[in-house]
Amino acid sequence: MSAYVSQLYPGTSRSSINRRKYMDPKTKYEKLRSISDEDLVRVLGHRKPGEAYKTVHPPLEEMKEPEDPIRRIVEPTSGTKAGDRIRFVQFTDSVYFSPMAPYVRTWAIYRRYRGLDPGVLSGRNPIEGRERDVEKVAKELIETEVFDPARTALRGYTVHGHALRLDENGMMFDAIRRYKFNKAKGVVEYVKDQLGVPLDKPVEVGKPLPEEELKKRTVQFRVDHIKFISDKPLLGWVHRIFELRSRSGFNPEGVKGI
Amino acid sequence: MAEPRFIKALRKKFKESPEERYTTFYTLGGWAQDPRKREFKEISDKIAKQRGIPMYNPTYGCSGVGLGQRTYMPYLISGTETYGMPEDVHFVNNAAMHQLWDDIRRTVIVGLDAANTIITKRLGKEVTPETINHYLEILNHALPGGAVVQEHMAEIHPALVEDSYVKIFTGDDELADRIDKRFLIDINKLFPKDQAEKLKKAIGKRTYQALRMPTIVGHLCDGGTMARWAAMQISMSMISAYKLMAGEAAVGEFAFAAKHAELIEMGTLTPWRRARGPNEPGGLSFGYLADMIQYNRVHPEDPCKYALEALACGAVIYDQYWFGSYMSGGVGFTQYATCVYTDDILDDYVYWGLDYVKKKYGGIAKIKPSMDIIKDVATAITDYSLSSYEQYPANMETHFGGSQRAAVAAAASGIGGSLATGNAQLGMGCWYLSQLLHKEWMGRLGFYGYDAQDGAGPCNLWSYRSDEGLPIELRGPNYPNYAMNVGHLSAYTGIVAAAHAARGDPWCVNPIIKVAFADPSLKFDWTYPRECFAKGVLREYMPAGRRDVVVPPR
Repeated sequence: MSAYVSQLYPGTSRSSINRRKYMDPKTKYEKLRSISDEDLVRVLGHRKPGEAYKTVHPPLEEMKEPEDPIRRIVEPTSGTKAGDRIRFVQFTDSVYFSPMAPYVRTWAIYRRYRGLDPGVLSGRNPIEGRERDVEKVAKELIETEVFDPARTALRGYTVHGHALRLDENGMMFDAIRRYKFNKAKGVVEYVKDQLGVPLDKPVEVGKPLPEEELKKRTVQFRVDHIKFISDKPLLGWVHRIFELRSRSGFNPEGVKGI
Repeated sequence: MAEPRFIKALRKKFKESPEERYTTFYTLGGWAQDPRKREFKEISDKIAKQRGIPMYNPTYGCSGVGLGQRTYMPYLISGTETYGMPEDVHFVNNAAMHQLWDDIRRTVIVGLDAANTIITKRLGKEVTPETINHYLEILNHALPGGAVVQEHMAEIHPALVEDSYVKIFTGDDELADRIDKRFLIDINKLFPKDQAEKLKKAIGKRTYQALRMPTIVGHLCDGGTMARWAAMQISMSMISAYKLMAGEAAVGEFAFAAKHAELIEMGTLTPWRRARGPNEPGGLSFGYLADMIQYNRVHPEDPCKYALEALACGAVIYDQYWFGSYMSGGVGFTQYATCVYTDDILDDYVYWGLDYVKKKYGGIAKIKPSMDIIKDVATAITDYSLSSYEQYPANMETHFGGSQRAAVAAAASGIGGSLATGNAQLGMGCWYLSQLLHKEWMGRLGFYGYDAQDGAGPCNLWSYRSDEGLPIELRGPNYPNYAMNVGHLSAYTGIVAAAHAARGDPWCVNPIIKVAFADPSLKFDWTYPRECFAKGVLREYMPAGRRDVVVPPR
């Protein structure tokens, strides 16, 4: 029996191709900007730069854990080994061509990383995990093509804005104004951390991508971009999933040839 | 192509064109944009001064930043010309919404035939239309809180309970003709002829009492009180009307009939983990609620509006009352619910679906249910609905949460399926497919992705076996898979209503419920619920349950 090869995502449109690409752990995200480790820590707001990680248990090496075959199979993440507390990063994605969308980021996290617990809502995408593991993943998700400074945002709470119209600079609304567009520099700066606590100095997260560039990179379908129903293989796949669930819910033997 | 129905509301809500994608924020006046919040703040400041404890302060809104950093938009009550602020459709602030639920909670229906049989067969007394009229006169004294049989009883001030009464209805025209018209819900007068004939045939010679307990009792006690209140007053009135010995064995039979054998409650008991008695929203099925709405009795030609009126009531009862307060506590889920009955957005999608179905299938309820119909109807209506949000950014901003858009697009799809086939189960299939399409289209859906509610929904849709499923008409918040479906159950009510109205059915699941709520003496207007809500928004709706006669004047 050959090993299972994941198909990742159906569809032939650019948006479907982007979904597959972002989910595929063999594909490296294109780096578009840099954020220092110190600035990342500041904008996440969980600890001060240079401060030691808070722990909720001793390092695993020092603990005598009961024998468990799963422990032999699964290697703990760095944060788990060290006993880090559970912390989070949370993203909000504008409906106006943000590179990512909550479901797709979550599927990508399942494929690419370990030890994280993502959740999907329409206006936010929480990702929980051990603190240093969260920091590592957050850095990649902010520095690369799956983030846009104007259309993607870090928000611990008061998240709404993903479906609102854009401001005069093309920025997504944030009720507590954690970030602003620095016109002189042409970059977006965080002036508050993801929970809205003011920062002692701004953290730059780079220039917003031009809209044409966003359209190339986004996973989103839109009526003014790529129409969802124009991607016939994807539409057919959704119909198939629905039909199989409908026909086989309490009657799995009733469906043949899947 | 005609302008969408929601454009008028969008123009009122925002200063920019509905197609405009850019706007301004942060300089709009904060919470003071909203006249209701200004009113609340002014009154709250006075209360705080009087009681010495601080109260409402909107500057605490968003994590220390005041509310109102974006445009505060008014909301149009769909199908009306009335605009209000979000606060006006919070169920606590809207007196019509109080009465909507009060009229359901305070109603029980009790068959009269068992009691009459006991009187004639067991006690050898005569029951005639005249004795029934006499009994009803006594019960209309006793039900609101008047004493019979025993002297020196404490009675209830009639002004507190002016909404409490009993009426009867029957499929027996001969009996109905001889009942005092003050006590009769007259099927022949209230329903179109074809509907009346079907209803009378279904009800047959049986006679039912529609008992309305006082609204104030519902407020002070609970839904489970109602059958007991009714049974006690029925038994006492029987004793008085038929000159029975108080306490003779037959009286126990009346009580048993009224509390159990002949009782129809509006809502069933909920399980312990939800911990509510009968006649509470958690036990109210979609079919019963759809039957309570009377729009199709008066306007059988417009099944869409019937579905929309039913759906609006579902939103208030299931989302705002049940999930928003009974189950979750707090201020409720107003924004979750109101998206389906404000700004004519769902109305637009539903009527677009009607046109689509008529053009594609030659009319409504013309095509047999099939998987292909679900795929076709749900895909077309979901495409129209979600495209409307993207073509009109003001529309997207109005429904700024994914749960709102999911509810509206899927409700329109479900109603479209019901209209096409006259089959509510198929309509539900369209709802579920719409959710799956929406999820893949936008890469997001509702609260925690609606994986449990809608990802799993199709799997139990077609099962009728116990523990696996139910006909959708009989499902409700008590259905296990719907225990957490905020923003869903309103649409399920509309989907049921649309299917049966498309078929020309006079009722959805229970003809007795349909007739009981055709009663023009009810406080709430069950034909035009959204107009009632609009009156509530304008503070022009007068509910029952007043206390002013027993309290000092303000």
